[in-house]
Amino acid sequence: MLKINNVFAKAGDKDILKGLSLNVKPGEVHAIMGPNGAGKSTLGNLLAGMPYVQAQSGSVEYMGKDLLALEPEERAAEGVFLAFQYPVEIPGVNNMYFLRTALNSQRKYRGEAPMDSAQFLRMVKQKVKDMNMRDDLLKRPVNVGFSGGEKKRNEVFQMGVLEPKLAILDETDSGLDIDALKIVADGVNQLRSAERSFIIITHYQRLLDYIEPDFVHVLADGKIVKSGDKNLALELEEQGYGWLNK
Amino acid sequence: MVGLINNWVSHAQLSVNEAEWLADKRATAIQQLKQLDDPGRKLESWRYAESSRLYQSIETVDSPQSLTDCIDEAASDVKIDECVIRLQDDGFVVSDECPDYLDVQAINSMSENEWLDLAFGQETVVNLANTALFNSGVFVCIKTNAKNPIKIVIEYDYKNNNQWQFIRNHLKVTADTSITLEERWLSGRINAVNVYQLEDQVSLLRHQKMSLSQTAQFVSFNYFEVANDVNIVTMNQHYGGGLQHHIHQFNLRAHGAKVKLGSINKSYANNNISDIVQVNHYSKNNQSDVTHRSIAKDQSQIYNNAKAVVAPGADQSVIEQDLKNILLSENAKIFSKPELEVYADEVVAAHGSTIGALDETALFYLQSRGIDVEQAREIMIESFEQEAVVC
Repeated sequence: MLKINNVFAKAGDKDILKGLSLNVKPGEVHAIMGPNGAGKSTLGNLLAGMPYVQAQSGSVEYMGKDLLALEPEERAAEGVFLAFQYPVEIPGVNNMYFLRTALNSQRKYRGEAPMDSAQFLRMVKQKVKDMNMRDDLLKRPVNVGFSGGEKKRNEVFQMGVLEPKLAILDETDSGLDIDALKIVADGVNQLRSAERSFIIITHYQRLLDYIEPDFVHVLADGKIVKSGDKNLALELEEQGYGWLNK
Repeated sequence: MVGLINNWVSHAQLSVNEAEWLADKRATAIQQLKQLDDPGRKLESWRYAESSRLYQSIETVDSPQSLTDCIDEAASDVKIDECVIRLQDDGFVVSDECPDYLDVQAINSMSENEWLDLAFGQETVVNLANTALFNSGVFVCIKTNAKNPIKIVIEYDYKNNNQWQFIRNHLKVTADTSITLEERWLSGRINAVNVYQLEDQVSLLRHQKMSLSQTAQFVSFNYFEVANDVNIVTMNQHYGGGLQHHIHQFNLRAHGAKVKLGSINKSYANNNISDIVQVNHYSKNNQSDVTHRSIAKDQSQIYNNAKAVVAPGADQSVIEQDLKNILLSENAKIFSKPELEVYADEVVAAHGSTIGALDETALFYLQSRGIDVEQAREIMIESFEQEAVVC
């Protein structure tokens, strides 16, 4: 599904990714861990198309296409979703309108008929129920007045509605209490399928207690320095990142 | 006295049927005009406005952008008495369904004791010209025996888009009355003075809808005389136009009044908009809350100013001024000025102004959900405007 091959990338004028390679197959869950400043969020932003992050060399192939050649909205319509570390507030635009606009934009790109208000409302209400979200979320302006936990839950809810093929969660667990963490993890687990892949960027092993990854990678100084199974996350939790340099 | 004023004064024609006191008012205004200079960049209120356009002839007029309704009564089951007053070349027309407790008469037939003298000077020289030259407008008096909520719509509809129309309207609302007022531009080159005389406990919901065609011009002075416990919510939408210059002045002379004003100014191409709001807190315990949101594109220019003056002894005044602005192109200009002049001791006041571009991170957020960049910009602008929607 996703082949990242020896990518070098800058965030602004700073070299961040320095020869990163990663393969993700359909249905796999990859956890990316690593110390602060290693380039974890830059990787997520690069894949989603943030203009501030620019690839210098290397390639990213997604579903047979050159991902880096696509605009952010094209990537989204092709099935790439980034759950933001710091979700943006959009006053005056309610979640319902925002999500319907997003969904129908993606459908238009894919040549599908737009979803009318009634269909959309039915679908969204079912999602709210399935994902154990509060339905007042829909009427409120996007992320305005939301607590940190509500913003992260809203990101996962958006992911549920948009049903991406590749979801990248950028520190979605940070700032969450245990109950919120479980809700977010449940939301992700419900979306797991043989066709859908996840890249979960996190600092802590605790999220991985609830979302079991197929692979754990350690990103340090712009490239993946170690990969393993879920036990690698437990080792990192116990020993930190210092031992990787020895 | 120079070119523009000279030209205006030369066109002043006193009506033979006009009351002597009114003719005297005009004559005094003409004398005052003759002592003043044409508007220009030396004046604070015209510093950022293209006053030279006041002289220009307007040859073509295109269609303005349509505006959405701010005042929504669709959700309400309560019957509303609506009265549409259309100001046009041959006077004015009042809609048939206008309730009889609403007294609408031509402005120049009002009595002398109802007239309010407005203190115009060099800064407001263009508005002073209105006193000398007004030839149309209405005096509307609303009595207290209204059974239903009242909505008055004033429309400006003049066929000649090149010739200045000088219009004075006076709205007198007696105590304990709630009223909704909508002011709409349809066509014409307008210089308007609107006087709002609001007695105790009046509630006024007002919407100034000025979506002008590219070259159209509208100059207005909106004067609010405010008594005890009056509640004013006013929403201004100023879009387009070769020249829009609006002054809103609120005089809070009694106690317990609240003024909430939201302005959205949107300019593109070569538009020029000035939106000036002054709230005078003359007495204790009054509140004013002014929000401006301005968006300028292409080579257009906007000036927005919120000024509050708190007189000595006007303690317990509460003032908020929130001015935010977005520039959508390199050549667009916005001048934004919050101002506080406080001469009282116990006042709560806050003001702020920002000018910037659209937030790139927010744009990317929308794009990352599949929304194309143009639609994402529109959503961002709509979101930005919403903060100034007060009714």
